[in-house]
Amino acid sequence: MDKKLVDAIADLREAEALKLVKEMLAGGSDPAAILEECREATVIVGERFQEGKYFLPDLVYVGEIMTQISSEVKPYLRTSGADGKKGGKVLIGTVKGDIHDIGKNIVTFMLEVNGFDVLDIGVDVPPETFVEHIKSFKPQVVGLSGLLTVAHTTMKETVAAIKEAGLRDEVKIMVGGGSVDEHIRAFAGADAYGPDAVAAVTIAKQWTGVK
Amino acid sequence: MTTSPEKLLAERRQRILDAYDMKVPDRVPITLNFSYMLARLGGVTKQELHDNPDKAQELLEKWALYYQPDAAFGIGTFGTHMPSVILGDRQTKWPGYGLGPDQPFQFVEGEFMKAEEYDEFIEDPSDFTLRKFVPRIYSALEGFADLPVLTSFLRGYGGLAGVAVLNKPSLRSALEALLKVADWYAQSATRTAEYARRMEALGFPVDVRVFGATTLAPFDLLADNLRGMRGVFLDMYRCPDKLLAAQEKIRRFSVEQVIQTTSATGRKLIFIPLHRGSDGFMSIEQFETFYWPQLKALMLDLIKAGLKPYPFYEGVWDQRLEYLRELPKGKTIGMFQSSNMFKVKEIVGDVMTIVGGFPVSLLEGGSHEQVREYTRKMCKALGKNGGFIMSASVALDECNPELVKVWVDATKEYGTAV
Repeated sequence: MDKKLVDAIADLREAEALKLVKEMLAGGSDPAAILEECREATVIVGERFQEGKYFLPDLVYVGEIMTQISSEVKPYLRTSGADGKKGGKVLIGTVKGDIHDIGKNIVTFMLEVNGFDVLDIGVDVPPETFVEHIKSFKPQVVGLSGLLTVAHTTMKETVAAIKEAGLRDEVKIMVGGGSVDEHIRAFAGADAYGPDAVAAVTIAKQWTGVK
Repeated sequence: MTTSPEKLLAERRQRILDAYDMKVPDRVPITLNFSYMLARLGGVTKQELHDNPDKAQELLEKWALYYQPDAAFGIGTFGTHMPSVILGDRQTKWPGYGLGPDQPFQFVEGEFMKAEEYDEFIEDPSDFTLRKFVPRIYSALEGFADLPVLTSFLRGYGGLAGVAVLNKPSLRSALEALLKVADWYAQSATRTAEYARRMEALGFPVDVRVFGATTLAPFDLLADNLRGMRGVFLDMYRCPDKLLAAQEKIRRFSVEQVIQTTSATGRKLIFIPLHRGSDGFMSIEQFETFYWPQLKALMLDLIKAGLKPYPFYEGVWDQRLEYLRELPKGKTIGMFQSSNMFKVKEIVGDVMTIVGGFPVSLLEGGSHEQVREYTRKMCKALGKNGGFIMSASVALDECNPELVKVWVDATKEYGTAV
């Protein structure tokens, strides 16, 4: 199969990727196949990020390219196919008191390209909201993110609230972001700390048994 | 045996100045940036600290006397809420104003300049600032969008009719709001001077860390204030030349602004909090193209003007420390957050004074023994040959008061004869 589109996206050639998509759609290509190529490209981007070849500007840019491709493809899609998520379920959010989302968004992106079903519940999330979503979404992994030091305290409160709701044994909890480190992991009572998005994927894979 | 406040003040000031001069002080100095920790210590909300500066000052004095550091600072570091509140600032949220009473100050990044506006900005940054940027970030100054192009004054008396626009209610109220802010700063300056006098009377030097001005790396000014992080990252691909041209303009007017501000006060330390240059945000190649040359040029300009840049290397700079060696020796003070401090000392210890880096996580969740042991290690490694000031990685906001005491005492114990 011709991988021109995959390469154009993965190498961040915006204009070329969009031109190819338009040509493919006009030529009657299956829109689902185009989206599959997009998915393949994201996996490559994820790998390059993991290897330290790509950084945040590159992830932001590929996200932007994808958004444009999606809006090109959307009118051609009749039914949305099964999303084929094979990994485990991860609930993620920035804890109460903190409105920073960059780290959380990168972790979400990396988990998704690694096949996880991720529910991102946003920023400044109170402990009780985490508890509600654990009940309804039933994740195996909960990711608590925060940049500010105030997040250390609310991470601890969130873990305590999960425990109080009787859900502590149902989930593994990982923490990360800003000044979070192993000391804060212990302080908050979480199960693991990761210094970056790559570590978050490794930890989540270990916990869910995904290869 | 008690030492008089005058003597303590002189000793402490000298200790810090020695470290600034990269000499070996009699002991590793330690400074406490209490910030919102004062709320916890005083049993008040964070909002109350902002609303009641007298109370905040009382708490600062009380706890500085308790801990006895070489210098101590309250919540003033990042400014204060009233000007933002008066102007309806869309870029900041403060405890009790846009946030709960116990949530800390937060900066809200937005896209306040569109990618299509680069040319306009580069052509005339002042005009863009006044008639586009200001009305976008301050709701009370939306009327500024109606101001005439300022060059209309070049026509002399013939251009004066444009002033009539100030009769618009939106502009009248905008000017009133600005005057209110000016009044507020006048009162605040009197208060700040009085607080500094009181701190020094208690034996704590203040002048050693009052900044003459704060400025930003040209890339950060674009990322934080104008384009937002997402926008500026896309610009790196879509319009790199414009991004670089805008940075060149920004560097020039930033230097001009700093020199203007400091010439009035004579204060030499220039605070530069650094954001997107740290490890993890961009690649080394991108850093070499879009971040470092412009930041370095800015610092060199400031040094040439007789000023001393005091950058805060936020985040982790472990992969970028070699670049900092390009800075002239002894001309800057580097404050660090989460970099490997031992590596920092090894690589730039002979280039700059090093401040900070003691992990607040240890002061929040560590044990007494861990805090003492890490303090010992840091004093031994970083205190060697001087030029080091012990300080926490970030403000002490959420730290455990008991562990802070252990840390200060351990610094005094291990920081002597290193």
